[in-house]
Amino acid sequence: MGVEQPDAAPRKSEFVIEATDIVKRYGHVQALGGASLQVRPGEVLALVGDNGAGKSTLAKIICGAVVPDSGTLAFWGEPTTVTSIRHAQELGVETVYQDLALAPDLTVAENMFLGREPINPGWFGGHPARLDRRHMRAKAEEALRGIGISTLTSVDRTVRDLSGGQRQAIAVARAVMWAKAAIIMDEPTAALGTRQTGIVYDSIRSAATRGLAVIVISHDIPKMLSLADRIAIMRQGRTISNTEARQMTLTDVVTIMLGGKATEAA
Amino acid sequence: MSEMTQNSPPPPALPGAVRRFLTSSRSTPVGMALIVIALIIIFGVLSPNGAFFRVSNLTTIVLNASVTMLLAVGVTMILAAGELDLSIGANVVLSSVVAAKTLVALSGSYDEVRIGEYPHLVPALVAAILAGIATGAAFGAVNGLLVTRLRINSFIVTLGTLGIGTGLAYVITNGTNVPFVPRVIQTEFGIQKLFGVVPYPTIIVLTLSFILWYVLRVTRFGLHTLAIGSSREAAERAGIRSARHIFKLFVLVGALAGVAAALDLARFATTNIGGHQTTALAAIAAVVIGGTSLFGGRATIAGSMVASLIPVVLGTGLVILGVPSFYQLIVVGVILIIAVYIDQQRRDKLN
Repeated sequence: MGVEQPDAAPRKSEFVIEATDIVKRYGHVQALGGASLQVRPGEVLALVGDNGAGKSTLAKIICGAVVPDSGTLAFWGEPTTVTSIRHAQELGVETVYQDLALAPDLTVAENMFLGREPINPGWFGGHPARLDRRHMRAKAEEALRGIGISTLTSVDRTVRDLSGGQRQAIAVARAVMWAKAAIIMDEPTAALGTRQTGIVYDSIRSAATRGLAVIVISHDIPKMLSLADRIAIMRQGRTISNTEARQMTLTDVVTIMLGGKATEAA
Repeated sequence: MSEMTQNSPPPPALPGAVRRFLTSSRSTPVGMALIVIALIIIFGVLSPNGAFFRVSNLTTIVLNASVTMLLAVGVTMILAAGELDLSIGANVVLSSVVAAKTLVALSGSYDEVRIGEYPHLVPALVAAILAGIATGAAFGAVNGLLVTRLRINSFIVTLGTLGIGTGLAYVITNGTNVPFVPRVIQTEFGIQKLFGVVPYPTIIVLTLSFILWYVLRVTRFGLHTLAIGSSREAAERAGIRSARHIFKLFVLVGALAGVAAALDLARFATTNIGGHQTTALAAIAAVVIGGTSLFGGRATIAGSMVASLIPVVLGTGLVILGVPSFYQLIVVGVILIIAVYIDQQRRDKLN
């Protein structure tokens, strides 16, 4: 658990992730027409914008699900072509999807390790690949405690048996557990009630405190103004503003979002 | 943090214990075992002179159930991933035909085998077993390629290959069973029992079933199988290559059908090209009755093994009681529908 800073590689940039002039077209539709974004370690960046502004596309490009047509994506200043979700994960970037991407019939611990299971050594060079369930349980419990989820009765419960808030918490805990550089969250509270939303926001803050960069896509602009360090505003496939949150008001954000003058754009 | 407790599922309604038992997946194998034991006791008590209780009768039941049991275990693996294989019966027929042809062709010249002389029996036997398993695996590979490459629903693919496999078996044999299969495979293996109690084919089936139980419960392969069945999307995003995994499962089920073919050939010392028409359905019924979800993600090998005994116990028991065994078909059909209903309830309640 916790953030291991990239070891040997010397950092060439203060930004964990820096996207520059990203362009993505789907047929004749231009989803992104030169979007840019930077995020520092320990920083919460809110990505806001009207529907269709390109927020999700930009997030998918950063997390490796979509390959851009042009533009550069750099991790710690190192330009990188991210080819897959797995590749982005290897770079330390984890994503919490809107639909959470949990397997309902598997247990909490199994879900948190799915695709990256610890394997018992021994036998024929690790074959057959036997799951190290003890390690999975212990680490999953630790990760859940780490983001303040201590009341989940057991990590052996199947996800199907959990409430929406608990599922969300598990998806967040999984991302925090594996992320070494950044977490991207696409509408993490869209399906939640007020109290559950509070838990997710707390966990976002605590992930940032651990030194992770957190990119949050959200429509809840008032909340983003108090939660995020910076607000990036997108419109028509471009990032038109990237400003410290405390310098912005709700009116500023909405005005820029809807096409007013991007006065404070940095 | 109190929301965690508040949002835990509401306590089950009225007949709490019964409902919990019915809706808990772990309990199904135990429940099935109790049903089988209850049936055995009922038939034992009712049968004349306790004939049903005789060891020879019980071992015959196990022997008769063993091919279905092996196939049920295979179907459990594929259903766990949310796919279906209706073609395993046809696969058994085709694989046993190939195995029988290989055995007869290699064990001696035509003139020798015609009079029951098999000078090269042992090497021919090894080749025949390998040919049977290879045919089964190849059959499964075709299913797997069609399902994963052409993205056709596995129900339809295996319905198609069910016909193709049966047809091929007829084409190869010209519609008659392979002649001159050495009887020694039956007398020395197919109906032989270890210590006079446990039939040899049953030992093989139990061994393979245990291995697959281990694979499903303990290994990464098993977890990925269940993950794909539970949510293919979630599995893909976790980096699991679901198409490749599903292909492997079809090859596995096919290879098990090949083993079943070899066992079947040894058991009856003849191919059975008109048979196994309802074998796939019987195996799938046993799997679902045993507690494996028809929708994938939840599977129990033990449940499938125990449930595959039910039709045979019922059939044998009814015959011993002098009741027409046709009732067995009706009872199994009713149990199947009840089992699927319970599975659906479980899902609806928890979603």
